[in-house]
Amino acid sequence: MLLWENMKLALTAIRVNKMRSFLTMLGMIIGISSVIAIVSIGDTMRSMFANEYANIGLNRAICYVMKYDGYYYYGENFTADQVEQIIDAFSDEIEYVSAGEGGKVTGINGRKNYEIVTTGVRGGYDKVQKVDIISGRMIDDRDYEGKKNNIVLEEATAQELFGTADVTGRTLKIKYTPSGSSGDVIDDFNIVGVYRNSQSVLMRVLGGTDNSRGLAYLPESILTDIETNGMFSIDMFVSEDAPATFQQQFINYVARVTNAEPENVRYSSAEEEMMMIDSMMSSLSMAVGAIAAISLIVGGIGIMNIMLVSVTERTREIGIRKALGARTGDVLTQFLIESAVISLVGGIIGASLGAGVVIIGGTALGVDVVVKPSVMLMAFAFSALVGIFFGLYPARKAAKSDPIKALRYE
Amino acid sequence: MSEIIKIQNLQKVYDTGAIQVHALKNINLTIEQGEYVAIMGQSGSGKSTLMNILGCLDRPTEGQYFLDGIEVGKLSENKLSLVRNKKIGFVFQSFHLIPRTSAMKNVELPMIYGKMHARKRRERAKELLCKVGLEKRLDHLPQELSGGQRQRVAIARALANDPPIILADEPTGNLDTASSVEIMELFTQLNQEGVTVIVVTHEDDIAEFTKRVIRFQDGQILKDTKRGEQ
Ligand SMILES: Nc1ncnc2c1ncn2[C@@H]1O[C@H](COP(=O)(O)OP(=O)(O)OP(=O)(O)O)[C@@H](O)[C@H]1O
Ligand SMILES: [Mg+2]
Repeated sequence: MLLWENMKLALTAIRVNKMRSFLTMLGMIIGISSVIAIVSIGDTMRSMFANEYANIGLNRAICYVMKYDGYYYYGENFTADQVEQIIDAFSDEIEYVSAGEGGKVTGINGRKNYEIVTTGVRGGYDKVQKVDIISGRMIDDRDYEGKKNNIVLEEATAQELFGTADVTGRTLKIKYTPSGSSGDVIDDFNIVGVYRNSQSVLMRVLGGTDNSRGLAYLPESILTDIETNGMFSIDMFVSEDAPATFQQQFINYVARVTNAEPENVRYSSAEEEMMMIDSMMSSLSMAVGAIAAISLIVGGIGIMNIMLVSVTERTREIGIRKALGARTGDVLTQFLIESAVISLVGGIIGASLGAGVVIIGGTALGVDVVVKPSVMLMAFAFSALVGIFFGLYPARKAAKSDPIKALRYE
Repeated sequence: MSEIIKIQNLQKVYDTGAIQVHALKNINLTIEQGEYVAIMGQSGSGKSTLMNILGCLDRPTEGQYFLDGIEVGKLSENKLSLVRNKKIGFVFQSFHLIPRTSAMKNVELPMIYGKMHARKRRERAKELLCKVGLEKRLDHLPQELSGGQRQRVAIARALANDPPIILADEPTGNLDTASSVEIMELFTQLNQEGVTVIVVTHEDDIAEFTKRVIRFQDGQILKDTKRGEQ
């Protein structure tokens, strides 16, 4: 009961002294809003990267062989036979394999030139990876086996080159350099399909220029002849049902087939990478958040300062309350609650401000913002705690004051 | 009649470091339940000092003070707060209302500290403000009231927990004659209802309202006269 009365009292005190209360809260507002903004930006980035990796496929892995001779250098390419042997040995676990070929090419439509980043694919790519085809079809096995000059463009690339996304069935001249060849080749390609990229603007920017210009898919056999060039790396999608020991088995097998030491076989999976980036970002945002939290101390000191002024100003009031029967604890609670409420209100304003800025910024960049309610609640609880901690000294001063002296205070 | 206040060999010394002020010297005093007392004397004679001790705001340096049979000098701070809350109603010269707080809220305050239920508390506050003639000023803030009205709010507040004793230190000191008379008439009415009223005053006109006058000089009782004895 007294708690509620004290809260009302504190809110009244805040209302009566609007400007002063605001200035007192400013430290908390700035501190909490920056902490919330930083933590939310961190959480948003983490969820974006998690999405990105979900797009790439968490079960994607790349394997290649290094050589060591006092220092590391790239080993020889896998031969087509070796690749076949490896795939056969793990036919249950491996869902899709490619050489991971790709690179920049130039698309030419009349006088319009446009740089396109390509990925060489085989049939079945769209089974392991989401490709949002909006017209036509994806590259298939016949394209790959027959080395057909077919290409699938991203919607935005089609817009850029043709001014429309409705380009399935049309022809595009492409200038490219096949692997192992010394000069550029210009060829006509049939556009067999158009897909839509669902990446956010920010993610494209973060992905660098490569991803900002939409990826085009073409048969890998156009870019490289595996029979003669072999494969630098085995770029594969591993079945989700693969046993936990798959990675080690695979490395050992590759080492045996290629006559390499197992420790020189490099195997990197998207999942591992993602977990690394995730933990890196979470510790980074935690560290920056902690630095921002220092400003909360400044905010707390501001509150302590004003509470001390307030206690002095209200000396007489404290005396009256004691004369009317307020116990030491009642006065202590009154002032503690007052500073906690000031701090909490500051915290709520700050948290809303921080979250608001992140949400507005995220919306402008087309990002799905992550503002965790648990983080907000923690910020509220923490700001109330700051208020209680820094209010303790002024409140004790008020509670201990002698009623007679307080009543005589001019 | 029972002795509500009993003081034996009471001394009060203020120790200000350099000098010691002997504010009360060997006071012996008994006040019965339902008495109407005026305390008079020169400035600095120790009247307020005595009132503070009677009101459990201060403790005697030496001697004993029994309030309703309990020796309060030995009570803890929190027990003293409880005694003030339940047994004493204070009325001060400068009103001492809580600023920026409505008349209602001011009157409710002792009941809040007395842990009375909110609805009952509000009813009683309204009732008391009606009793002192302020039924039209319930939600006024102290700064919106005249001196006499403020003092009436203070009296309503002093009555909140229905205490047996009202201690009023120069309650009319800041009021004009008309308001002073109104306030004293209110005290007289309360005393007729059975409340022990102790009023400090400098004015004989005010003391006229009471039934017993205690004169102080230099921290000692000079004269203690009951009406009709003289
Ligand atoms: N807190 C204190 N510290 C030191 N001396 C004090 C203190 N309070 C009162 N005194 C002294 O005690 C004496 C009695 O003071 P008290 O306030 O009781 O006088 P009073 O009779 O109420 O006077 P007045 O009529 O002016 O109100 C005075 O000499 C005063 O200076
Ligand atoms: Mg006095």
